Amino acid sequence: MASRTSTIVWTTTRHLLAALPRARFGLAPAAVRRAAWARAFRLSFEKLGPAFVKLGQLISVRPDEFSEQLVAEMRSMQDAVPALPVSAIRAVIEADFGAAPEELFATFEDTPLASASIAQVHRATLAAPYRPVWGEVLPAGGDVVVKVVRPGAAGSIRADLAIARRLAERIARTRIARRFDPLALLDEFAETLDRELDLRQEGRFADRFRFDFRDDEKVVAPRIVWSRSTSRVLTMEFIRGWRLTGLEEARAAGVDCFGLAVHGATAFMRQVFVYGRYHADLHPANIFVTPENTIAYLDFGIVGYLTPEERMNITQVMAALVYRDPERALTYSARLGVHVPPEHIDAVREGLGALLDGTTRPDGTRDFAHFGLGFLRLLGEHGVKIPSGYGLLIKSLATVEGVARALYPEIDIVAAAQPFTTRVLGQAMGDPARLKERMPAAVRAALRELVA
Amino acid sequence: MTDDVMRFFAAWMLTHEVADEGLKAAVARGDAEGPEGMGGGPDAFVDGLAAMVAEEKERLKAALEARARGEDTGGTAGRDPALDEIRFEVAELRGRLDSIETLLQSVLRKLDG
Repeated sequence: MASRTSTIVWTTTRHLLAALPRARFGLAPAAVRRAAWARAFRLSFEKLGPAFVKLGQLISVRPDEFSEQLVAEMRSMQDAVPALPVSAIRAVIEADFGAAPEELFATFEDTPLASASIAQVHRATLAAPYRPVWGEVLPAGGDVVVKVVRPGAAGSIRADLAIARRLAERIARTRIARRFDPLALLDEFAETLDRELDLRQEGRFADRFRFDFRDDEKVVAPRIVWSRSTSRVLTMEFIRGWRLTGLEEARAAGVDCFGLAVHGATAFMRQVFVYGRYHADLHPANIFVTPENTIAYLDFGIVGYLTPEERMNITQVMAALVYRDPERALTYSARLGVHVPPEHIDAVREGLGALLDGTTRPDGTRDFAHFGLGFLRLLGEHGVKIPSGYGLLIKSLATVEGVARALYPEIDIVAAAQPFTTRVLGQAMGDPARLKERMPAAVRAALRELVA
Repeated sequence: MTDDVMRFFAAWMLTHEVADEGLKAAVARGDAEGPEGMGGGPDAFVDGLAAMVAEEKERLKAALEARARGEDTGGTAGRDPALDEIRFEVAELRGRLDSIETLLQSVLRKLDG
């Protein structure tokens, strides 16, 4: 373990030293310096392996805790590692099923489709039809993908986590920890990791997602083959399509990219505002557009959950953005745990108003990321502690905007959100509990108007 | 007395007319201008909501007219969501049982081997 600690410290130091010229030995402007250090950390994390790649992914969804340069750099981190020999993958399958892949599937391809820090993916075909939890029966001979947790991944990640915890305890005693709590971050990381290492959780979320969107033929998720799944092996339907990086071909094939961009953004809002459970790891590799003109969500390893109350408050914050209403944004952010000290309220309200008015791009469309990330920064400047879920959600919405823009650059996600948030809030008006709470004030307001 | 009743209904009609004109104006504003063209704030939300309610009203009107003509509108006669939820939970349970059965088979294979 001592040698692994030395490797971690040495790798990080080496990359930080290499970044010195880029940071002009500390004399460059703050943003340039921060970008240089961020790049050094990203390169170190990529070098240090799965635990650090995952830690980087977690940092990339926490703009409330880390500088924008570090968040941007970690977003570009590549989670692609050299493939393991297929014998190691076969060994996991045989250990879990007591049978070779050829006995479980009609065919199994030894060449992997993809290899990431936690799992490796192989193609196969079903030996017999399978009736999934939701959706049509998968036929015998149907294409599936088999996702297998890399042997030893859990152990090595947990060992690295133990070392990282010791380092974090030291960092927690320094000045750097004023902006974030490294131990809390590691705890959150460990929890996320536990979920990701048990592939059944991902499968269950995919099933739930299919069910939630059962009335929407444009949104799909892979069907899970539970008879060929364990905690370390997840077998699911193979979905053909184009990644967001290959859209030219999709357009040529007649895919309606604008329609799908709007629909995909709306589908995400439905996850957040209606169901309170959402795909929290959206990036261009996790979304496909298909020849059937549908949008396919893949890889539900990281998901977010909201309580009904959080859901409604978040809808209100979104409505505040749509209708440029800073008061509403502040009121409902407070209910989500964003407490602005009274002496800062006026300044935050003013800053928020400026943000809401300044979200328009030169092409006339509005920019959610500018608002969301600007709001987090504004709160940070006024020393407001931001609840972790709030930061994650804003980041997820900003990502959805990025993904939608990859499909169709001129999309205005705020305009797309308008009918949706209005409808959700309109429906909430009929909630008896809310009516009971609000009606006396509404009647008083009406009477005040009448006698004015 | 008759005059009072007439005045009462006249007042009721006037209130209705004013409210109706107000709603129509809100619908027109919400319809014509997105949030970009509005001053923003709660009034903009009310206008947006009014426009959506008006759209819903048109859909309802069309559905009622279609029903009067004896056509199948399908829209409101959907399946009970609670029933769907139960179906899903049962199906999810079946998925879990499939997974457990697989584990059992694996154990049996190992014992046999």
